[in-house]
Formats: sequence, structure tokens, C-alpha cells
Amino acid sequence: MSRKSLHRKISRRKFLGTSAAAGAALAATGTGLPRVSFADSHTIKIGFLAPLTGPVAAWGKPGLDGCLIWADWVNAKGGVSIGGQSYNIEFVGYDNEYDVAKARTGATKLIKEDGVKFIMMLGGDTWAGAQPVAEREGMLFSTLLPSDLSPDSTTLVAPCEVHPIYNVTGVEWLAENKPELKTAAMCAQDDALGKPSVATYLAAFEAAGIEMVDAPLFFDPATTDFAPVMTRLMAGNPDILCLDTCYADYVHPLCEQAFQQGYQGQIISCTADFYQNIIEKTSEEFMEGFIFQFPDFDDPALNSEEINFVNPNEFYAEYANRYGASAWGAVSWEYASIMDLWADAATRAGSAEPAAVLEAMKADGTGKHAFGTADWWGTELFGIDNALVGNWPVVAIEGGKARIKAFKSIPAWWDQHKDLMIKHMTDLGQMWDQQG
Amino acid sequence: MPEPTGATPGPGTGRRIRRIAWQLRVVFLFAALAVLPYLLSYSQQEIAVLLVINVLLVSSYRLLTLTGEWSLGHVVIMGVGAYASALLTKRLGVPVPLSMLLGASMAAATAAILSFPLFRMKGFYFLIGSFAAGEIIRLIWKRFTDPFGGPKGLKRIDPFPDIDTGFLSIDFYEPVNYYFLALIVVSASLFVLYRIERSRIGLTFHAIHWQDRLAESVGVDTFRYRTLAFVIASFFAGIAGGLYAHYVGAVNPTRFSVDQMVYVLVWAIVGGTATFYGPILGVVVLTVINEIVLRALGLDTARPLIYGAILILSVLYLPNGLESLGPRLRTRWQRWRSGSAAGRREAA
Repeated sequence: MSRKSLHRKISRRKFLGTSAAAGAALAATGTGLPRVSFADSHTIKIGFLAPLTGPVAAWGKPGLDGCLIWADWVNAKGGVSIGGQSYNIEFVGYDNEYDVAKARTGATKLIKEDGVKFIMMLGGDTWAGAQPVAEREGMLFSTLLPSDLSPDSTTLVAPCEVHPIYNVTGVEWLAENKPELKTAAMCAQDDALGKPSVATYLAAFEAAGIEMVDAPLFFDPATTDFAPVMTRLMAGNPDILCLDTCYADYVHPLCEQAFQQGYQGQIISCTADFYQNIIEKTSEEFMEGFIFQFPDFDDPALNSEEINFVNPNEFYAEYANRYGASAWGAVSWEYASIMDLWADAATRAGSAEPAAVLEAMKADGTGKHAFGTADWWGTELFGIDNALVGNWPVVAIEGGKARIKAFKSIPAWWDQHKDLMIKHMTDLGQMWDQQG
Repeated sequence: MPEPTGATPGPGTGRRIRRIAWQLRVVFLFAALAVLPYLLSYSQQEIAVLLVINVLLVSSYRLLTLTGEWSLGHVVIMGVGAYASALLTKRLGVPVPLSMLLGASMAAATAAILSFPLFRMKGFYFLIGSFAAGEIIRLIWKRFTDPFGGPKGLKRIDPFPDIDTGFLSIDFYEPVNYYFLALIVVSASLFVLYRIERSRIGLTFHAIHWQDRLAESVGVDTFRYRTLAFVIASFFAGIAGGLYAHYVGAVNPTRFSVDQMVYVLVWAIVGGTATFYGPILGVVVLTVINEIVLRALGLDTARPLIYGAILILSVLYLPNGLESLGPRLRTRWQRWRSGSAAGRREAA
């Protein structure tokens, strides 16, 4: 067989393969559209509009996985009781890839085509896309990033994570328990998530009497080589390395670089998602004492009576069973805890309609936050009291395992140091009335 | 040379038939595009709006590639149009249609300024230079919270104004209405781009691409023509940016990052850049697969994997892009027909 005829034969096979694939894709389109809903009248759909792929997926996908456990448990117990009727909960996910236009598309799809009653988002850049839809449709949305809050968006709430304000608790704990640490250096990605967090840490360090050895180092979100970033951070020989609210894709290489460049001091970070992987890449000794803000839910401290999250240890065990313990991340429990709040409000309202649920949620100015009863708060910082704020845990890695060291009160810190926070937020243009 | 008789059609008749056939194809295409949104779901209409805008983006990019230069800053130039148009409406109260044109002009002016340093470079160096220039612009958006909004960008950008004449009411929040607006703007833009490519200027662009030294030797000012291509391409990218900003209502620096530029390159490469319709084919096919087919199949989280596999397969098996698929199929079909005709003759 000549080379030419062989080539022709392969080409034909390729051609047939391509045709078959195209045919299958077309057939799939035909059968897939329009979407058919199998949900019966006793099912309420909840939208999950977050990045499920891409660099920010670590703050979306684990949350959806946690929600699926939540739904299975609630549905197994007969569903959510609303107006004397029990309803099963079904989650409808949409991957917005942390893109503002896709967030808009996803929001309209979830509302107009899937008929959801509530939409949970990560927020940040993507909220700007969903905002006009929320206002037009009157849909209740939640965000994990209260910097999205503004008086214009009355149907947006931040009922779980009050990012980045809770970061003050980690610094406060460090100052109380390791008073010998006097200097800090900080880096963050230069984006909507990094900047308000930097302002918060600057306020917290100033309140704790910890001096910055250099101005915060902002790196581009497209950065892949963190060696020079870490070199510059370590140049001032700080007692504390602060990794701000870096995405998991940055925290891991930053820690690796700190390890490789011989850093031996304290590290504090907002998150340490998949920290077991960091330990594997560095060492247990290196990560000992690493402070962050998100506990593993097998922590015995979560069995306290004040905790409102239902069966945290069992939830963690089920999560680890389904997806693996290393898949546990900062948001694995958060969206589920928002659902606890939503279900409670819907039951009290006797309705799943967004306006009724929102009214019930905020009825007496307090709410059952995952870590205890908290207040609806935020006018001074966000222009609206739509953030649920109370206690937040400070977590340290000890012996290769995350352990809660203390629960600290955010409102208590705010009452003492709010001027500092407002000053740093204003300096970095992060107050709600400074947004473009 | 004998005159053609009335019984046998001459070359003029053939041209007329081809022209009518071409016009019929255009009419059919526009009829299909007019019906399309009514066959789609609401969210798919939203995707269609963004797709139409991306068609203009990638087509304008192709004009630049005609001179042989591939830029990594085209999406940032789109962003210049988006930011400028948004700021003109937000800060100065300029009407949206006018601000879109002014935004596009700003994008073109930016390209004109950038052309002085960039066209001192060629090929790979131009590619890197355009990337650096784009990053500088993005960093300016990030650094200067006033007026650009910093990393969060600009929100609550004025939408395209609704039309209400009493008997006719058009709300441009509705994707179907914005789809038609974008379709009109993009069709007009594509017509202009097409005419430019077919004009003497377009031929000069091609000449610069393939034989720039030769073109210079016959008096063509390659710098001016490269700049012209860059400025025209940027103007239409700016139009795409304006359409985007006033539809989505928000812009931020991340939206115009090099990650987004990679998509434009992929659309152009997978579609092919030899023909006018190649990149359009690329953006349409890949968007439909990524945003409609894979989502409809419930493969949300597997999309990057499948999308990547499709890219690899298309580059391996269709190195000249999707635009080469039609001619290849036609050749095979003709070969098969001639083969079977010969077989029949042999059998007879």
C-alpha cells in the first residue's frame, strides 16, 4: 500500500468519525432542546449560578456539591414545609465561568426557563451581569461577597460569608496569641476580590499594631510564576506573610515558593482550599500554624449549641465520602448553610416567592447564621443592611489538620475599629459609593 | 472570434446566474437570521446576541491579519470601545448610539497611536508587542479607579434607549430586540469590511502580507497600509465593544484579558482565515457547541475538556480551518461521482 493511499484511507476514517461526531452533536441538540423539566408541582427549584469551571471554580463547584448533599438530606426527610405543604428541593446549576455576560445569561435562564425561586451566586465580577436581571425580575439572589451589596440592589443578600470583613478575626487572634509577631507583608491578585480584602487586612493589622514592611503587592490575575512575587514579599523579612484572599490557584504556588525560598515565619490567608495538597507539596512542619478562616466541618468545635449548621460533622463525612476529603474547600458548606436560612425563612413566610422569603429572612433584624445568631448589618459599609454578620471561626493547621482555634465576633471588632476599616476601604476605592 | 448565438448562454449569462444565486443565498441567510431567535429559548437568544457581537469582533480581527500581523491586543481594543462608550454615557450623558460611534472612534485613535511603536516590529515581535500594549491599557483601567472603576470596572452602564412611538414599543433589555439591533449593526459593519477587502486597499493588504518587500519596491507605503488595517479593524472592534457594554451593562478589565483573546485566536484558527466567512464559521460553530450543545447535554463541568479536544481534533484534521471543509467535501463528492460513473461505464 502506497503512502498516499494510506493517507487517504486514514483521512476517510477521520472524515467518517467527524461526521458521526457532528451527527451525534446535532442529535443531542435536537433532543436536548427545549429543556424538559421533570420536576413536579411539589418541587421547588433553586438556581446555582457560579463558576463551575475555570480558575475560580474552586469557589463554585464544591458549593454545588455541598448543596446536592443538603438537598438529598432535606428531601429524604420529606422536603421543606411551606404553607402546610412539603416541597422537595432541586438545584439547577449554571456555569458562569466567572464571566459577567454569562452570569446575565445564566440568571435569565434560571428565572425564565427553569422557574427557580432563589439564586445563589459567588458574586464579585459576575454580579454586575446578573444585577439588571435581578432588579427587573425581582428575584432573590445571594452572594458570598458582600462588597456586591448596594442600596440599589434590595433583593441581594449576603447571608453567610461576609467577605472580607471576617478576615479581621484571624489577625485579631494572631495579635492576641502571638504578640511577638510585629511586621507583615501582603500580596493579592489585582481584582475585585483582592482589593477589598487588602483594605480589610490593612485595617486589621493597623488595629493590632502590626506594621507593614512594604505596601501590598498586587499581582496580575494572569500571573503563573510566583517566585518573584514571593521573593519580593520576603525581601522585607516580615514576621507574617499575608496571602490575602488569593484564589486556590495562587495560594498553592505561593506556599510552595515560600517553602522553597526558606520562609519560616507565620502565614495567614483568607482561605487554604485543598490544604492537604499544599502540605504534600511543602511539608507538615512548614504548614504548622498556618492561619485561615474556613474550618473542616468534622471539627468538634462545630458541635457547640450556638452553631446553626445542621449536623456539620455528618455533612463533612458525607462530603468526604462522595467527593473525597481533599475536595473539601471554603465554600463546600456555605451555599448549603444559605439554604438552611432560605428554608427557614420560606417556612416562616409560608411561601417560596422571593419577596416573601426576603421579608421573613430579615423580619426581626437577626438570622440563624451557620456560626450562631447574627445581625443583618452593613449600612455603613455597603449602604444597606443585607449582610448577616456575627461570629466567625479562626482556623489553624495543626499536625496536618485544620482546627478551629476560636470564634471571634466581627461586630465587636467593627465597633472598635470601624474608622480604620472605612479609611482603608476608601483609600482603595472599595466603598459601595465609590464603585464604578 | 464568433459572436455567441442566442441559443447558447454566454459568459455574461453565467455571471448573471451566479449573481442571482449569490443574492438568493444572501436573502435566504437573512431570512434564516430573522427567524432564528424565535426558534431559540430566552437564554439562547442571549447567547445569540453575544455571538453576533463576537462575529464582528473576529471579522474585524481578520482584517488585521490580512496584512500578515496577528495581534494579541484586539480584545483590549474592543475594551477601549466598550469603556469609552460606557464613560461617555455615564459621565457626559452622551446618547448611547452616538457614544458607540465615539467609542469606536476612540478605539481607532488608540490603534493609530499604538501603530507607531508596534509597526516597527513584525511577526512574532509584533505579537508580543501588541500583548504588552494591551496589558498597559488594562493596567491603566485597573489602576485608575476614577474614571475606569479599577478591577471592578464599570457597572450600571446605560442600556440602549428603548423606542416607544405609541404604536411601536421596543425594549432593548429583551434579547430578541437587541439581537436584531446587533444584527443590523454587525451586518452593516461586515458589508463595509467585505467591501474594503475586495477593494484596491484590500488587495494591497494581501500584497503586504505575502510580499511586503516587493510591495515596497513598487511604492506601497507598508507602514501606512498596516496602520490603516489596524485602525479600521480597531474601529469595528470598538463597535463590538460598545454593543457589548450597553447590552451586558458592565465592563471590567478581566473581560478583556488575554484569556479572552485566546478565544478570538481559536475562533479564527479553527474557522480559518483564508476566506471572509472562515472566522465567522469558527465563532458560530464553537459557540454553538460550547454554549448550547454541551450545556444542553448537561456537560457543564466537562466543557473545557471537550472544547479542548475539539480544538485539537480540528487543528489535526482540518489544519486549514472549517472553511476548508466545504471544498474538501465537494472534491470528494466529485471524485466519488466520477469514480462511480467510470464504474458504470465499465460495467456497461
